[in-house]
Amino acid sequence: MVILVGLVVGFWQFIRLDPGYNPEGFRLDQLWIIVEKLFTPQRGRDWSDLFRYMLTLENPLLQTLKMCFAGTIIGSLMAFPLAILSAKNIVKTPIIYWPMRILMNLIRTIPTMVLAVIAVIFVGTGLLAGIIALILFTFGIMSKMLYEVIETIDMGSYEALESTGANKVQSFRFAVLPQIFPIFLGYILYIFEINIRSSAILAYVGAEGIGTPIRDNTLYNYDYVGATIIVLLALILIVQGISGLVRRKLQ
Amino acid sequence: MMQTRSELMLKKKPKRWIMNLVFTLALATGVVWSFNKATYNELRLRTFGTSIRIMIEQFQQINWNFFWGTYPWEATDGVVFMTIQTLAIAFLGTLLGAVLAIPFSLLASKNIVGKRFAVIGEIILTMIRVFPELILALILVKGFGINAFTGLLAIGLHSIGMLGKLFSETIDHMDKSSLEALDAVGANVWQKVKYGIIPEIVPDISSVTLYRLDINVRSASVLGIIGAGGLGSTMMLAGENWNWSTLGAILIAIVVMVMVVDVVSSYLRNKLV
Repeated sequence: MVILVGLVVGFWQFIRLDPGYNPEGFRLDQLWIIVEKLFTPQRGRDWSDLFRYMLTLENPLLQTLKMCFAGTIIGSLMAFPLAILSAKNIVKTPIIYWPMRILMNLIRTIPTMVLAVIAVIFVGTGLLAGIIALILFTFGIMSKMLYEVIETIDMGSYEALESTGANKVQSFRFAVLPQIFPIFLGYILYIFEINIRSSAILAYVGAEGIGTPIRDNTLYNYDYVGATIIVLLALILIVQGISGLVRRKLQ
Repeated sequence: MMQTRSELMLKKKPKRWIMNLVFTLALATGVVWSFNKATYNELRLRTFGTSIRIMIEQFQQINWNFFWGTYPWEATDGVVFMTIQTLAIAFLGTLLGAVLAIPFSLLASKNIVGKRFAVIGEIILTMIRVFPELILALILVKGFGINAFTGLLAIGLHSIGMLGKLFSETIDHMDKSSLEALDAVGANVWQKVKYGIIPEIVPDISSVTLYRLDINVRSASVLGIIGAGGLGSTMMLAGENWNWSTLGAILIAIVVMVMVVDVVSSYLRNKLV
């Protein structure tokens, strides 16, 4: 408890020392003004204009879906061999699985946005940068989640198959794969959800998608930003609902 | 002709491989189609080799002055200061979120308020959860200015969604015998919370909060791009200007920070369970 209070006080100093921090400058009335600007028509438009604008968002929406789809699938497939190589109960030599784990943890520490910044430097702004960033992100998180699953599976059938003379690949195919495959599919859906949610951030650094209209309109057309936010929320809710349904079926 | 039971079972088994093939083909087509019109900059792609060479060269000369915040940078401009500030945003934000999530989770748990009210609480929590952090920060920046406090508030408010949901699940799944005993002696809601719930759930709640801290450390280092303090803004500027020596210093700091938080929080979680 004392440690907790000490940490709070200590960390608060760093917030307070921020050059922009001055409590007298808080303009709380602005909060309501911005919310009003976001969710009511502005600059002489009415509600029908906003709805028409929402319908024009199909292109960025499609881009986001494409980006997340390709990134999630490719990243998950790439993570599969790495997860097997870093599972202690399948590969029994520490020389192989320790470097794999270190690589996995290194990739996982870098936030998606940093990956996107680096990808944008190499391939320029656009969809491809987003796909590369999401592939790397999915790769990191999926390999970590998957190898933990592989380590907790029931090894009895694997050993039984090995004792009948099956080689490693065969016993993996018929003893391990049936156990982990449904979980793998469930994780793909889960990561797809996370990726959709992070797509708003990705647009800020140049990977296109549903975040692009938000970034472009933040200076003047706040109502367009609000409309895009509503579309984004609807997309997230739909994806969440579908993936929740499918995941419950898989179990 | 006699057939054994297992042979019959084998015959009845639907031909799974057709479905699997169709499914795989659909996924593959989807991936290929996603790359169709995937826009990129051809010039940048052509100079890929040069970019990598420059990157590796500059990564070797990390800007240590900038890292420690010595001359010509003030201490508050250095990477070390900004890293600790990012950590502060994540830590205080998580704490704020956890404190604020408790009332919401009570509202969303069936044990305490009953099924009908729990649905309302769950809807509120879902709405908070799906609202992206970045947009929350965009709104808050107008009221609280460009500083770390905005990031703290954004992370705190966003954390309520997930923490509240996990807290309410913990409350729903806990051991109910003490609650029933309290019901039997006629305790009111507040007394039930104090004597029946808090002692039961504190370990679980702390471990969930530590897990959230892991996530928040990552998002705190990102929120800076809209001016909410921490490393983000400097990182994005360095990235856009190909300033690898600066970006390298920041990347080292982020990797070290995230790893330290991961290790500490998993150690604490193991101790709790």
